[in-house]
Amino acid sequence: MTDAVALTNPDFSVIVPVGSRHAEATSLHAEYKSGLKAMGRSYELIYVLDGPRREFEVGLRRLLDRGERFTVVSLTRNFGEATALMAGFEHSSGQAVVTLPAYHQIQGSEIATLVAALTRCDIAVGRRWPRAGGMFERMRRSLFHKLLSWVTGVRLRDLGCGARAFSRRVLEEIQLYGDQHRFLAVLGERQGFVVHEVDVAQSPKDRFTSVYGPRDYARGLLDIFTIFFLVRFTKKPLRFFGMVGLTIFGIGSLLVAWLIAEKLLFGQGLAGRPALLLSTLLVVLGLQLFALGLLGELIIFTHARAIKDYQIERVIQFSRQDSAVDPSRA
Amino acid sequence: MPPQYIPDLTQIAAPPLELSVIVPFYNEEENIARMHSAIVGAIERIGVSFEMVFVDDGSRDRTLERAIEVARQDSRVRIVKFRRNYGQTPAMAAGIEQARGKVLVTMDGDLQNDPADIAHFLAKIDEGNDIVVGWRHNRQDKLISRKIPSRIANWLIGKVTGVPIKDNGCSLKAYRAALIKEIPLYSEMHRFIPAMASIAGPRIAEIKVRHHARQFGKSKYGLSRIYKVLLDLMVIKTVTSFTARPLLWFTLLAMPLLLLGFFAIGYSLLSWLEAPGPMPLPIAGTGVILVFGAMILVSGGVLGELIYKLGDLRDQQFSRLTENTWGANRD
Repeated sequence: MTDAVALTNPDFSVIVPVGSRHAEATSLHAEYKSGLKAMGRSYELIYVLDGPRREFEVGLRRLLDRGERFTVVSLTRNFGEATALMAGFEHSSGQAVVTLPAYHQIQGSEIATLVAALTRCDIAVGRRWPRAGGMFERMRRSLFHKLLSWVTGVRLRDLGCGARAFSRRVLEEIQLYGDQHRFLAVLGERQGFVVHEVDVAQSPKDRFTSVYGPRDYARGLLDIFTIFFLVRFTKKPLRFFGMVGLTIFGIGSLLVAWLIAEKLLFGQGLAGRPALLLSTLLVVLGLQLFALGLLGELIIFTHARAIKDYQIERVIQFSRQDSAVDPSRA
Repeated sequence: MPPQYIPDLTQIAAPPLELSVIVPFYNEEENIARMHSAIVGAIERIGVSFEMVFVDDGSRDRTLERAIEVARQDSRVRIVKFRRNYGQTPAMAAGIEQARGKVLVTMDGDLQNDPADIAHFLAKIDEGNDIVVGWRHNRQDKLISRKIPSRIANWLIGKVTGVPIKDNGCSLKAYRAALIKEIPLYSEMHRFIPAMASIAGPRIAEIKVRHHARQFGKSKYGLSRIYKVLLDLMVIKTVTSFTARPLLWFTLLAMPLLLLGFFAIGYSLLSWLEAPGPMPLPIAGTGVILVFGAMILVSGGVLGELIYKLGDLRDQQFSRLTENTWGANRD
């Protein structure tokens, strides 16, 4: 948006992080613009180029020449979608923020559905429904999301959908980094925000049948693993490292005890027993894991004042004039 | 009429208060008004200036509405509202953060603690104690699931932390505000506040308090947290005693490994010198593993030193909280 228009804050800001996977700029912009226009509310549109995206950039320049209005934030290298989102967020000024994927996932008209949902919740995440895809595809997806809800306790059915709407304070409280944009709903729920999943119509162009390679599976599992730690153990590292470490240590110690007992009772020489190596390894590994947990606790403890466990939504107190009791006694 | 929300304390120019009573509530709609009148009744008798900080820990019933009704009648009530249920420790921590009194008293919102006891706590603080903890000597709870585990836990906590308190689980405690506001409270540490505070070397007193059986609402604790308590205990012990000297602690941890490792290596070298030939692999290998393991632990200690150096927590700050100065330097 140009400076002249930015004098009054728009109703909402739309951020489109453009990563390696992106559609053609003109058609994408047309799709989103038609949806936004139809809503009849003031908005600003921000494209964040995550690293050099020549083709897309040229497209955007052409659109600007044609008189389209939007802001482009371009990052010098590929920082990842979460960082791109935060960069776009810093340049935004709407009370509500909508993020949209840089390729055709949902129909432009569904932006209105997402924004409308914000009257009932703080974070609305899109769920492409009805969704194209074969049986196997559907099973894979459902398995992934079952695992996710089991780990996090938050029931979500389309983590891959990049269309989300949320109120400004969500990102003011949650600093996203790495791949966390995918978990905005989960992290938001942890912060006590009300999260709704909203059905949005899938774009017809999203319906290419993708072949999921081992990389995608690995990524999905890594996602789950990451969120598992983020949600369960970031503030209590010893709960995790201690448990694993003590278990390994315990198994190792039992094995050592057994070897020693055999040596003492049956004269079984230790020198010829590879099991001794294994048990020692286990004992040492267990101790080290435990020590890692302690280091983690040390980090938490020495930074406890900076990383607060809780978020106060508001403090309520009535002033003296309003209340019947005079508090100025004593 | 829309209530008037006052978001932060700087907006009210209030005289310093002598006492803040902090009560976390989670789904206690029947108890909140009773609790309020019990506190007011008990403290007005003592005649100190006070406020009440009610922390609504994301209740799903009408606790917040009831609290607002109470607050509308009494401007000494300050409600801190969480967006969701965070648990007892964050609720306490938020209450402590928001409280403005010189002495802070914390208690449960379920009427099991008796506000009439607050007077004794204040007296103990006046005697020069920094922390006064309650001891529910006639505890009104189930024996098997609550009392016996808690007795074992208290004994263990006392042994490990060196702060022998008969009843760590009693929420009714009083703190000197300047001290407790500096103590980091997180995770599920509310059971261990005195132990955690021991980092500052506070003077701790313990007094008997009354304990009533629960009248309304449901108890929110059970007997499923033993391993958590054990690990937390280890955390407390670790952070309170070795924060400032991690290298020493990790080295001590590594010592047995190092000694055993050298012993194993020496043994296999000796036996090799006696009878040259292939070395007994398991023994020599064990020695090497042990020594390497010890080295990694010591490296961890070095990392610990770095963490402490970069952290925002200093023993010096804590020592200042409780220090006394006396003597005659000037004439």
